[in-house]
Amino acid sequence: MAALVRLGSICHRGVNPLLLRSVLGARPLAGQQKDAERPHLLTALIHTSTPSYAGSASKAASLHWTAERILSVALLGMGPLAYFYPGPIVDYPLAAALALHGHWGLGQVLTDYVHGDTKIKMANATLFMVSSITFAGLCYFNYNDVGICKAIALLWSK
Amino acid sequence: MALLLRSIARPGLYVSRSQFGVLYRHAVPMGTTAKEEMNKFWAKNTRLNRPMSPHITIYSWSIPMMMSITHRGTGVGLSGGISLFAVAALVLPGNYPYYLDLIHSLSFGPQFLAFSKFALAFPVTYHTCNGIRHLMWDTGKGFKIPEVYRSGYVVMALSVLSSIGLACL
Repeated sequence: MAALVRLGSICHRGVNPLLLRSVLGARPLAGQQKDAERPHLLTALIHTSTPSYAGSASKAASLHWTAERILSVALLGMGPLAYFYPGPIVDYPLAAALALHGHWGLGQVLTDYVHGDTKIKMANATLFMVSSITFAGLCYFNYNDVGICKAIALLWSK
Repeated sequence: MALLLRSIARPGLYVSRSQFGVLYRHAVPMGTTAKEEMNKFWAKNTRLNRPMSPHITIYSWSIPMMMSITHRGTGVGLSGGISLFAVAALVLPGNYPYYLDLIHSLSFGPQFLAFSKFALAFPVTYHTCNGIRHLMWDTGKGFKIPEVYRSGYVVMALSVLSSIGLACL
């Protein structure tokens, strides 16, 4: 996480700022230029990830990450399953796994490239609609038509 | 700034503990989340209408970079294809065998058919193989640069070979 540390001369403890500077080597630090202007005591602002802080934070993001990986492994397993046991028993879970994997994957793409609160909300709403229609369409195809496994088999047979 | 923190954490440093304690004593947790910080960054830069620094136009392309964006590209492409298929299933009047026979009646040559099978299979095999590579990284393995390149070559070879194999089915 971003750590904003502004160096100042820490007068009352007698820390020699020159000592710190020589320790850090010749590379200039953003804070060093400010020493001359702000010779008073400054605080270091950092994101702490100690248990006391993290305890109040939500685990939603990391749980989502884990769920994404579990789904990927499950989808990987459905390949051979679809080949050896084609039919509705694989068609529907395959439709669900494909739609969800795609939904979460596109969600990550949006998170990477779309910025600004309103735009993010709009993009995610659109994605949710598209993913829902995708899942609905796949289920409709499974129910009213030949089903995903049979469709691929037929396509490949010619 | 990261340099400062790393140099403080390094054990071989000869800054005395009391001096380190002084710096740490004044550390307070930030009131904002990382997400808020990121939003502030984008809001400020769009408000000031700042242009984006050149990045992909100037940075030297590497195999890992190309494979990564291809993974994303195949993912988006496959997702789009599946969504189109789903919408077509909902909207179009006939059923699947009807449209399949329609395509068969166009009588493409065998090489064209084999090539189209390859073209359909390759995004799937590439995304699958590279996806497995990603899952390996998620377990923490294979991050050394030679390993990254090696696994990348394996993925590329396996994708092409399995696509060819599938196209021959």
